Parts: sequence; structure tokens; C-alpha cells
Amino acid sequence: MADVLELLDDIVAGADAVLLFSPSGSYHERFDAADSVGVIVVAPDNDVGAEQFVELPLEFSDVSKRIRFGVEGAMQRELVNEGDVLACVSRVFDDGLDTVSRVRSDAFPRSGVYELFADSRAPPDVIRNVLELAIELGKKGQKGKPVGALFVVGDAGKVMNKSRPLSYNPFEKSHVHVGDPIVNVMLKEFSRLDGAFVISDAGKIVSAYRYLEPSAEGVDIPKGLGARHMAGGAITRDTNATAVVLSESDGLVRAFKNGELALEIDPEDY
Amino acid sequence: MPVSVPVPAVVLQADDGTETTASDPAVDLGPLSDVPGLEALVRLFQAQLVQASVVLGVGLVLGVFVGRLSKRLLQAASVPSLVEGTAFERSAQSLGLSTVTIVAGMASWFVYAVTVLATLNIVGVLSTQQLFQSFVGFVPQLFIAGLVVVVGFVVADKAELLVSERLRGVKLPEVTVVPKLVKYSVLYVVLLIALGQIGVQTLALVALLSVYTLGIVVLSAVALRDFLASGAAGLYLLMRQPYGIGDHVEIGDRDGIVQGMDVFVTRVENGTEEYIVPNSEVLEHGVVRLRDE
Repeated sequence: MADVLELLDDIVAGADAVLLFSPSGSYHERFDAADSVGVIVVAPDNDVGAEQFVELPLEFSDVSKRIRFGVEGAMQRELVNEGDVLACVSRVFDDGLDTVSRVRSDAFPRSGVYELFADSRAPPDVIRNVLELAIELGKKGQKGKPVGALFVVGDAGKVMNKSRPLSYNPFEKSHVHVGDPIVNVMLKEFSRLDGAFVISDAGKIVSAYRYLEPSAEGVDIPKGLGARHMAGGAITRDTNATAVVLSESDGLVRAFKNGELALEIDPEDY
Repeated sequence: MPVSVPVPAVVLQADDGTETTASDPAVDLGPLSDVPGLEALVRLFQAQLVQASVVLGVGLVLGVFVGRLSKRLLQAASVPSLVEGTAFERSAQSLGLSTVTIVAGMASWFVYAVTVLATLNIVGVLSTQQLFQSFVGFVPQLFIAGLVVVVGFVVADKAELLVSERLRGVKLPEVTVVPKLVKYSVLYVVLLIALGQIGVQTLALVALLSVYTLGIVVLSAVALRDFLASGAAGLYLLMRQPYGIGDHVEIGDRDGIVQGMDVFVTRVENGTEEYIVPNSEVLEHGVVRLRDE
């Protein structure tokens, strides 16, 4: 038994901080009482009232992505320093925290995934809603066929100024917000329209059918992605918006910010 | 007594008319003439006793039935889950009761009380008609007053819970006063209704209530004046949308691109500043839509 515990000792030895991913209240209390190292909670909501907290806007099913998000968030909020060794307690299987992993805070290149949520103009839950919408759309497609879609979130005034309508705007004088229960169905139907959806900071769907006209100079997105991704990436460089793109060809959901790819998720993982 | 005497005389003639007439001519003396009357009185009393016991029996059965029925009805209306967690229910639970059993019990006791009164009246203990009338009139009022108190306590607790749940997001210690205030306001009104129901003079309390209500109305009118103006303007702006997100506008001396609008404010932004303009000001100053060319 002692040998088995030693295995765990090796993993947590010399850790500068512990990252708890969505701990239960009692678990966190027990850990917090120990108080030998800094405890950082990474969870959708700060239910446990932790002092050091990183909001986890999406329940990443992939543990490495979840940890990566947590570490990047902790770095961004300066809860940990570069080069710190972190012990991450997270969940792989169904019930409770079951996995401990060791990671250095500078182990991965900065992807900007935390800034995507925390430093966007639109509040994190609006971006999360749009991402979930894109994921849902990617999973089901329209009538079984894969669809593509482009959502531009935040800074809607500027985005509207840098785009033009392809046809009449179906959302004119409407008051539909992402996250409304009817929206999933509605957007599934509208996704066959060409052009982009423009969503305001508050989550209101401002327009569909928008042809984006940013200047694409100096936009650095991976080669092989099509015009939709290029347009989405470019508009985020020209404005403070975030673009969420659902690819028609490979079915992945990508998010762009400041003209760079910040997040890539496979809808099938959710 | 003067009321009850003529009544047996009528019954006497109808019931034993032949017997009394047969014995009457034989004995014509004064003291003996009382005997048949006494006998009739006893008979009558027995008849009344039978009547009374029937009424009593029916009343008791009816009371139990009404109690059961109201319990079932309250349970069917999912009252138990509705009152769950309220202070009244909790204190009832601590006495081994519940809100439902209390209300059902009150319904039963109402029927029992009417039954007992009716029985007493028939037997003749409460022979004065007027007293009986006022008693019978008073019992339902008492019942309604009790019901109002029970319902009022539950409603007050429920209102307190609802308000405190709404205010949970507001992280301000003083805010805990508001739910209590709501609770006691409801209780005050309930008390007024209950007292009014049983005929207690409540004029002073009503005056106090109206002063209190007036205070709240005046205060909120003063405090919410700007919100009301902005809200009214915002409704118009949202319905008609004379300008939309992405339009370049000038409101007063603030110009920029509209980034968003809700019921109370419009957000206008240019390269360096973000203005949050109350909608009342939008209507007041008017909007200049700038055509960018």
C-alpha cells in the first residue's frame, strides 16, 4: 500500500499549486484546510466560495483541454507564475475527482483560449451559448446534412459597419437572444442562408445574411481552411469581435479572436 | 318561556287530541288540568331529544366528512408542496400537524360548532332566537377569520421566501431587511382582514396602513422616476427601432455607433468613448442618424 502512495507522491512532489477541477464543497473544504500549497478552483461556477477561482465556461470532455484551459486561465489571472509545477485533480470517468496529473504552467504554447472567454467584449456566457449553438448545429446538421455557419459575436456596431446585407435581414426588429430556447431550431433553419450571423454584446441576434468585408491582410489562420474561416478570422482582426465558425467540410467548431485561431473543438466530443 | 308554551299546545292538539278530550270532562278541577300539559311537555321534550340527537349525529358525521373532503381537496390542489418550507408549516410540523390538517380541522370544527349550536337550540337551552341567530352568524365569521390567518401566514412566508430568493444575487447585507418587510406587510394586511371579519374596529390600523402604502408609493415614484421615463421611451425605441445596432448616430453632443440597446439605456460608442445614454434622453434630444459617405 505504501508503494502505491509513493507513486502519487512522485506526481505531486514539489507542486507549487493544486488545481481542483469542479470539486464538491466538502472536497474543497478538506483540501483548503490542508493549506500547504495554493489551491485554485477551476469550475463553471464558484459554488465552493474559493478565493482563487478560474471560470470554466465549457465542460471540456477532453481532460487535456480542460487542464490546458485551467492552466492558461490561472496564468492569465496571475494565480501561478511561469514555470510553476501544478498538480491538477480532475475527473475522467463519471463520478467525482479521480485523476491527478502533473503539469508545468509553461508546458503548452499560449492558445488564447482563456482570453477568448474572459477578455472578450461579450460576456462569457454569451460566447458559451454561441459555442454550444455551433456545437449543436455541428452534431445534428440540417436534416442530416452537414452545415457550415459563421457567428460573429460582440462589437456588433462595428461589425455591421464593416459588412453589408446579402438580402433582407430576417432578424430585423426582432428581439431574439442566443440562449433563448427557440433559437436552436430557428438558427438550424436559417443556417442554410449564406453569410454570417451578427450577435451583439448582450447576445441579441442582430442580423443574418451579412457579407463581411474586412481587410484580410495579415490574417494568420491555418492553411486549408476556406473562405468562411478566412472571413471570420479577418473580421476579428479588424474589430473586437469573436468569430465562431462551424466548418461544413470537417465539422469542427473553431473560434477566432484578434485574427487568430483560439479554440478548436469537435462537436462529436460533447 | 313565553315563546315555548304555545308551541306544545299546537303539537298537543295534533298528537293526542282524542285522549285529552276523553279525560277532560271527567276531571274538571284546577290542579289536575296541569297534568296532561306536563305530560305533553315531557313527551315533547323527549321528541326534542330525539330530534336533537339526530341532528347531533348527522352533524358529527357531516363534520368528519367535511374534514376528510377538504383534506383530500387540499392535497389534490398540491397545497402541501406549495406551503413546504414556510415558517407556518414548520411550526405546524413541530406540533405534529400540517397546514392541510389545520385547515381541514377548522372546516370540521366549523361544522361541529354549528351542529352543537343547533342541538342546543332544539333542546331549548339556547331558546332565545335572537341569541341563536347572532351566534350562528358569528361562527362563519370566526371560521373565515381563522382561515384568513392561516392562509395569510402561509402567503407571508411564501412571499418572504420568493423575495429573498430573488435578491440572492444582490450581495448587500442590508438587503435581508426587504423580505422581512414584505412578510410583515402581508401579515399586517392579513391581521386587518381577520379583525374586520370578526367585527373589531380597525379604523386606526387602516389609517396606518394607508399612510404606509402612500409612503411606499411616493418613495418609489420619486426613486423610480428616471427609470419610468427611460423605460417608457425604451419601449417605444425597442418596438419601432428608429435606429438599430450598427447605425452611426448623434444623440445630443455624443456621436458614435450604436452597439446595443435595452429598455433603459442605449450604448453608443466611438473610437475612444463608450456612452451609456438613458433612453429618456434619446427622446428628449432626438437622434441624428449620420449617413457615412
